[in-house]
Amino acid sequence: MLDQAKEQIASHLGVRVEQIYPVSNLQTGYALGVQGLMGLDSTLFYSAVDRSEIYALAKENRSERIPVSLAGIVDYPQGEPKDVLSWQWVNGETGVLAGNPGNFQGKTFVDATAVSTLRQLPENWSTALWDSITWQGPASLAIFALKDSSIWTNPLPHTSPGLEELSFSVPLTVASAIALEAHQSDYTAAENLMRSKNEGIRKFLAAEIGDVDIAGNLDSTLPHLLSFSILYADAKIVQDELEAAGFAVDSGSACGSANMEPSHVLAAMGLLTHGNVRMTIRLEHTDQILDNFLSHLKRIVDELRR
Amino acid sequence: MGLLCPIPIIQLAQALRENDQVLLLSDDPATFSDLQAWARMTENTYKQLSGSEFLVTKGVDN
Repeated sequence: MLDQAKEQIASHLGVRVEQIYPVSNLQTGYALGVQGLMGLDSTLFYSAVDRSEIYALAKENRSERIPVSLAGIVDYPQGEPKDVLSWQWVNGETGVLAGNPGNFQGKTFVDATAVSTLRQLPENWSTALWDSITWQGPASLAIFALKDSSIWTNPLPHTSPGLEELSFSVPLTVASAIALEAHQSDYTAAENLMRSKNEGIRKFLAAEIGDVDIAGNLDSTLPHLLSFSILYADAKIVQDELEAAGFAVDSGSACGSANMEPSHVLAAMGLLTHGNVRMTIRLEHTDQILDNFLSHLKRIVDELRR
Repeated sequence: MGLLCPIPIIQLAQALRENDQVLLLSDDPATFSDLQAWARMTENTYKQLSGSEFLVTKGVDN
């Protein structure tokens, strides 16, 4: 049963079954993916929009942070064969897709934790990590992939050289394989529909609300994710008022968070860090639901700006 | 000082309506990144004088 689930997962993620290892948490996956590639004299290149787990690993290693443009474009270095690149495929906060890591000479860790659809890994990948919750699978399950064990050493405490000691839940792996299969067929069928909904929301924000800083453009982002920041609006109030109207959204603004620090992703891209709203467009969001959401949003912003 | 986002930027925009230059003092950690985006969106200019001091000028430099 486990073998079958792993076969299913591997085929949906576009890797070979012997290359994947379920792991019970993302932190372990990041350590395996990045630290396992690092040698004594390696430099870890990572982008300013990488996740906090990568920032933490960068602190422990010789590292160089690469800036990101307003459009989310990263100018990847060439590096040397001993170096490691953390390449974030999709930014989970903004939905912005990264450009190809191109000519990087070293080893590449692919952070695919915001990727749920079947996409071809870049040719020069070395390790990769997916998060099961991205395809509505169970939490506490990540999928780590290792292309070729000859360029990798196990960074975790271990008694045997391979990865057979990794702990993970078999039932969660089976559940995740089922969820992945369902998600990918639904997503593929609905991708164009979600893109047109995303486009409709973008047009409304620009025309009806105005002074809204939207992350990325329609072609450079995944269609189901949308992040925008509303000038002169307090994200916490927007969030609370939307919730009162029955809509749950997330925010990367400091005023919407407990730690009072704005999202490092918004700041790194030079996007407005206040008034931020992050939304996920789902298949069940009909035009009527989205129209209702947008009219509530407009009312809330009009009141705040008055 | 002591005000959190988005209040410093709201007060800045209000002050800039009546003045061509405004000195913004803000110790909110979000102000620096916010100011960059605000200047781009509203086509105004700013210069950081110190960690918490910014000189904001109406319009874009020629």
